[in-house]
Amino acid sequence: MSRLKRSVLISAIFLMAIVFSGWIGLSQPQPSVQLTTTPAVSQIRPFEAEATNLQSPVQVMLQAMDSAGLPVEDAQIHLQILTPPRNPWLPTDFPIVEGTTLLDMEALAPKGELQFQQMLPVRGTYRLLVNVKPIAPAAFVPFQQTLTLSVAENGVKLQNFAILAVILLTVGLVGGWVIGGKQPIQPGEVSPQRVQLLLSGAIVVAIATLLFVNINAELAQSHLAMAMSHPTEDVPPLETPAQMQSQGLEMQLSGDLSATVGQPATLNVSVMDANTKQPVSNVSLKVAATQLENNWVAFAYEGIPDSTGNLTWQQQFFDGAPHKIEVEVAPQATSTRQFQPFQVAQTLSVQGVAPPLSVRLISLTYMIGLVILGFLLGLGIQHRHKQGAFMRQLN
Amino acid sequence: MTAQSPSSIQQQVTRWTLSVPVQSALYVSLCGLILWTVYFTTYPAVHDRVHSLRHHTALVSCH
Repeated sequence: MSRLKRSVLISAIFLMAIVFSGWIGLSQPQPSVQLTTTPAVSQIRPFEAEATNLQSPVQVMLQAMDSAGLPVEDAQIHLQILTPPRNPWLPTDFPIVEGTTLLDMEALAPKGELQFQQMLPVRGTYRLLVNVKPIAPAAFVPFQQTLTLSVAENGVKLQNFAILAVILLTVGLVGGWVIGGKQPIQPGEVSPQRVQLLLSGAIVVAIATLLFVNINAELAQSHLAMAMSHPTEDVPPLETPAQMQSQGLEMQLSGDLSATVGQPATLNVSVMDANTKQPVSNVSLKVAATQLENNWVAFAYEGIPDSTGNLTWQQQFFDGAPHKIEVEVAPQATSTRQFQPFQVAQTLSVQGVAPPLSVRLISLTYMIGLVILGFLLGLGIQHRHKQGAFMRQLN
Repeated sequence: MTAQSPSSIQQQVTRWTLSVPVQSALYVSLCGLILWTVYFTTYPAVHDRVHSLRHHTALVSCH
């Protein structure tokens, strides 16, 4: 066999060995994280502001599995939920939220399971960055996975935009029909010129007034907080305190007292023995964040504190309204420490942010485009009418 | 060069004002400003009134 043929054969065998070993590697099961939601992904819809029926958050369950397909035990799961990326050409009703972190939490998962409820603010594909590592060092090799959750737009919004599009096309069509049908003024003809000039003048005044009002509103908004539909009011006081001692336990809820849409707020709950001041971790914690104006749940989680007795999480509040964070501590069934559950709570004010001017102008351009389209159609129809009438006159 | 009489200037202005391009521009401008006021202004009185409409219409950003 010639040297060339030998080296080609060796290279081919070498390449096949690489491909084969790669295939074997891929076909071996890898540790993974399974995502389950209630309702099913296809039925999830984004948050509907001013909904007539109270909307429930999406229940999300993450289950870490080892390479044998069994649930991982005694794991620490770090979860980050990233909202869909920003798209100014197809904006949502909460553009400030796009391309931000919705939730960042690290929790102990004795059975490798992390379950929580989260209200999803906008349509699009959310990314869930999950990092799984052992509580006991080197119990298993840490692994991470990025999961996606695609949320379709609410059908009502699309329907309403379709209706608006028809209305805008019709308005444009009527305008083009009327303006395009104006006949040149003939000598000696009695024409309502003064009326037309008066109407034109009225339109100029209306335009000037609307411009004045809207420009002032934009300038005022750039200096002040946006009033929104949540008038600036004092956050209502709660009956439940943020710190409480009961039955030998002390629980304290701390963290940010105010937040801004688009930026996460850090919250922490700590549990300790009231007498020894030592951290307590063998209890169950139930966390709930509720928007106080319409009483919908933004986030809920049930879990256990870490070995320092703390549960810390970062959460973005996407609606500019007061929220209540409530944490209930309850005994674990297998724990020797048994007590009556009790709660701590605190309120948090959330500053709304107006959508960027550029995003609003883009949407306005789409709408004006529809009006112009209808207008040109109306002009075109009138032009054909006149041509037809002219041809009939010639004949 | 002959100076134009005031009446011919007035006729020119009238003709220009009532021309199709100017009337079209006025019409589209008015439509645009009405749309901005209804769907996009941050003026609180208007925003609060049409808050639900904005959140229930696709491609309309509210907050």
